[in-house]
Amino acid sequence: MPAIRRRLKTGTGLSWGTSMLFVLPALVLFAVFVLYPLLTALSYSFFSWRGIVRDDFVGLENYVTVFTQLPYKDEVGNAFAHNFLLFIGAMVFQNTIGLLIATLLHRIGRMKRFFQTIYTLPYLVSPLVIGYLWSLMLSPLFGPVNALLKAIGLGDLAQPWLGNPSTAIWVVVLVTAWQWIGFPILMYGAALGGIAEEIDEAASLDGATSWQRFRSITLPLLVPAIGTVSILTFIGAMESFPIPYALGGSTGSPAGATDVMSLLFYRTAFESGSTNAIGVSSAIAMLLFLVIFGVAVLMRWLLDTRERKMF
Amino acid sequence: MSRRSRLQSGTPLTRTATQTFLWIYVVVAISPLILMVLNSFRTTSEMAKNPLGLPQNPSFASYEKAWITADFSSYFLNSMFVTITSVIISTAVSLLAAYAFARSRGKFFRALEGLFLSGLMLPVYLAILPIFYLLDSLGLVSNLWGLIMVYSALGIPFSTFVLASFLRQLPPELEEAARIDGAGPFRSFLAVILPLVRPAIATVVVFRFVPIWNDFFYPLILMRNRDAYTLPVGLTRFFGEFQTDWATLFAGLTLATIPLVVLFLLATRQIVSGLTAGMSK
Amino acid sequence: MKRNTLRMAGIVAAGALALTGCAPSSSSSEESGEDVTLTVWSWRTEDIEQYNRIFDVYEEAHPGVTIEFEAFLNTEYNQLLTTGLSGSDGPDVAMVRSYGGLQGWVSAGQLVALEDKVEGLDAIEPAVLAGAKGHEDGKIYAVPFATQTLQMFYNKTLFDELGLEEPTTWDEFIALNEKLLAEGVTPMALGAKDSWVLPIFADIIGAGRYGATDFEAAVLSGEKNFTDADYVASLQLVADMQKYLSPDVVGVGYTDSQIQFTSGLAAQYPGGTFELTTFKTQAPDMELGVYQVPLPPQAKADQPVTPAYADGGFAINSASKHQEEAAELLNWIASKEFAQLFADELSMFSAIPGVEYKDELLQEMWDLYTASPASYLLLVNFRYGEPQGTAVLGEGVQQLFLGELDAAGLAQKLQTGVDQWFVPGE
Repeated sequence: MPAIRRRLKTGTGLSWGTSMLFVLPALVLFAVFVLYPLLTALSYSFFSWRGIVRDDFVGLENYVTVFTQLPYKDEVGNAFAHNFLLFIGAMVFQNTIGLLIATLLHRIGRMKRFFQTIYTLPYLVSPLVIGYLWSLMLSPLFGPVNALLKAIGLGDLAQPWLGNPSTAIWVVVLVTAWQWIGFPILMYGAALGGIAEEIDEAASLDGATSWQRFRSITLPLLVPAIGTVSILTFIGAMESFPIPYALGGSTGSPAGATDVMSLLFYRTAFESGSTNAIGVSSAIAMLLFLVIFGVAVLMRWLLDTRERKMF
Repeated sequence: MSRRSRLQSGTPLTRTATQTFLWIYVVVAISPLILMVLNSFRTTSEMAKNPLGLPQNPSFASYEKAWITADFSSYFLNSMFVTITSVIISTAVSLLAAYAFARSRGKFFRALEGLFLSGLMLPVYLAILPIFYLLDSLGLVSNLWGLIMVYSALGIPFSTFVLASFLRQLPPELEEAARIDGAGPFRSFLAVILPLVRPAIATVVVFRFVPIWNDFFYPLILMRNRDAYTLPVGLTRFFGEFQTDWATLFAGLTLATIPLVVLFLLATRQIVSGLTAGMSK
Repeated sequence: MKRNTLRMAGIVAAGALALTGCAPSSSSSEESGEDVTLTVWSWRTEDIEQYNRIFDVYEEAHPGVTIEFEAFLNTEYNQLLTTGLSGSDGPDVAMVRSYGGLQGWVSAGQLVALEDKVEGLDAIEPAVLAGAKGHEDGKIYAVPFATQTLQMFYNKTLFDELGLEEPTTWDEFIALNEKLLAEGVTPMALGAKDSWVLPIFADIIGAGRYGATDFEAAVLSGEKNFTDADYVASLQLVADMQKYLSPDVVGVGYTDSQIQFTSGLAAQYPGGTFELTTFKTQAPDMELGVYQVPLPPQAKADQPVTPAYADGGFAINSASKHQEEAAELLNWIASKEFAQLFADELSMFSAIPGVEYKDELLQEMWDLYTASPASYLLLVNFRYGEPQGTAVLGEGVQQLFLGELDAAGLAQKLQTGVDQWFVPGE
């Protein structure tokens, strides 16, 4: 140990001990309130339960239940698919409209901050509030959305938006993307702000068109930002709960069309008729966690390799 | 195709197109929110009969009802206390940790940073039952400090991530100069680093403030006592009591949103510059 | 590297150990003869004022006892109670769900069996009391507080305006709905977006067709199951009703449907007694009527029925520090005094017999029910396992309305679901 310490001390500005002192408060908080509960939750998934009383160790039986027993086996694939749809929807939205907005904002000087603030407002509002707000707006009886469509002569487009399985999931996707977009706009804007203007100007003097400059200069420099935002978007989409909950209720109405993993977890943990609710719901939680963690790490890795290749 | 032409700045035509597009998205972004505010001034029956109308006799009655009857004022204070305290704690501990990560190259700290970073990907709310029993054994259920501890811990991954990447860009020579002058690591951290890191702190503060202020899940489970409710939990309860009283619901939603908007308006510049510094490599 | 990982694991483990070392906190004082505060939890956020008035009566008669009534949002209640009963900050007395919804708490030993502690339980109707029993041990764990009956409400004021009357035959029922449709009024308001209302609707419309109590007995004994032709036919009736509902019924939320009815946009509302307070506060001027849906052709029941179920009960938290006081409160809740107060304040049926209903409408519903009672089949009997019968049928009726399933397919889906855990003849 002393050897390590000495070596580190010469290599950097801080000794091992000092660094440890700096890290310790965060480490203790993190270990106690994040790691410990998570590891406990993991252990829950290997036991059978009677209400909140832990019974026998059952190994992977709860995981098997999720894939072989009703209603889970019917619902888990459907729910996962919707989570991925949420991710893809948000990605498409933020990497077209979001990126376009960020680029445009970067070029206009005037009122930039005003636009930035307005676009970020939905992101600031609680997702639960956003969900309830949209469910009121889309009500087929009293909702202003259909009323507006009728008022401007597009009555044919009026829909039971949340009552029709083919539109309901898209409503959830769009509302999620709409709310989230302020975040990518800010992040992309910040990344654009960090690109030295001289490069862009030089290219412009070389006669490159706006699009060429965007393709060959701006976009590559944006890749790290897009990568980071994508990972966060993925995590957000997989954990999505308040918006689907407010729009489709805990059962993912209509007929499971807006079901997502968190809702499945919630139903299993708290609305179940089974006394083994904790065991099965913990297994669902761990599956969700594995997917999130696995994909996020994979994305990070791809990104790092790509960056290394580029620079 | 059309996108290409819009990207060309300069000609009056494209400038107009840019402006038009930006203004259209302004409408998309805030019209639902404006509707929320407008509807809070209308009565429920007005809304049922005419979903699109403007307030006929605007009144603050719904706000009064939300603020007093539904006890919003005390939820509001709880939310303020919890959010501010946990943001301060988590930013402080994260800043210290991030500094160590930025300035140590040992594998141990690299692993630790990786561990913290992985926290970004953990759906921690799935561990709500263990968290509950943990707080219960510490006597912190229905205690605002329990909630503060949880939020502070949850903020560490994001905060260390942003702060460490910012700190890495500050040349180590800065503190070395101070150290040569005889200052210890803490002194030089306080005197040299702290002033420089302010924009990144602003970013962290705002991006932690928003989810904590809006979170309803943890307090729902962890705060049993009405006196310890935060605003979002108050809201869910309020949804139960005023299910069909839309006017009051809208007023409640608006009240819950205002502080964030104010905070953001005050700090946009700091946030953007903090992010800019953090994003560029 | 290895060493570092080990060290890290050590830190984490140390943290965990420090935690488990913490003794559970001892909360609240436990002196005898001192003032006692009993915390009572409920999911009836709508009824806070009424319950406070009811418990005021108890507090007056029991000096030194304070009842703190806490209500939580219905949809969040189960998770709160699950953790609340096991934590140190939970209620002394809690409202608990009935039938299948009760079992998790019972099997975890979180509730106290009441046979020796509460008097007057044997006066309660057995079908209602069944809702308060542990499925495995058959012991009583709660004092049932309410029976909910399911029937058709209608807007009498609107009926009078249009010259309509309560239907007494199926043909009249159909003619009535057609007439309303022709008048441009939605015949029935239904919030099919919230799937839990759908099994209720199915029983209000179809219980008579499939033969209510007789069918229940046959299904429980294993003699018949849900793919039985009569049950399929009852689901077909549900599908046939779709044209009398809002065009986009699967998009209409529960509260929307209530507003639809109370604002006069819809003339009838298939629902439970629990809607009554909401209707009265929202539309104080509307005159309400109720009827049982008449028997359709080929009905198996010999008269129209009112399906009903026990809504929930009050139970004692086994972790409560005030067992005696809590038992005393439950004795009061099982008394006629509470029952009468409950009926008067909340316009609901008490589970305790011998209560007079001042509200004429309530009395009428009670008379209809007692004349031809039935069980809300899926809730009473098919919530003891996963998937729950109500959940499967709720989602299935949405699919039925959306054209994704037909009546036979829905019946099969229900049977497949409950087959997973239901053992007939238990």
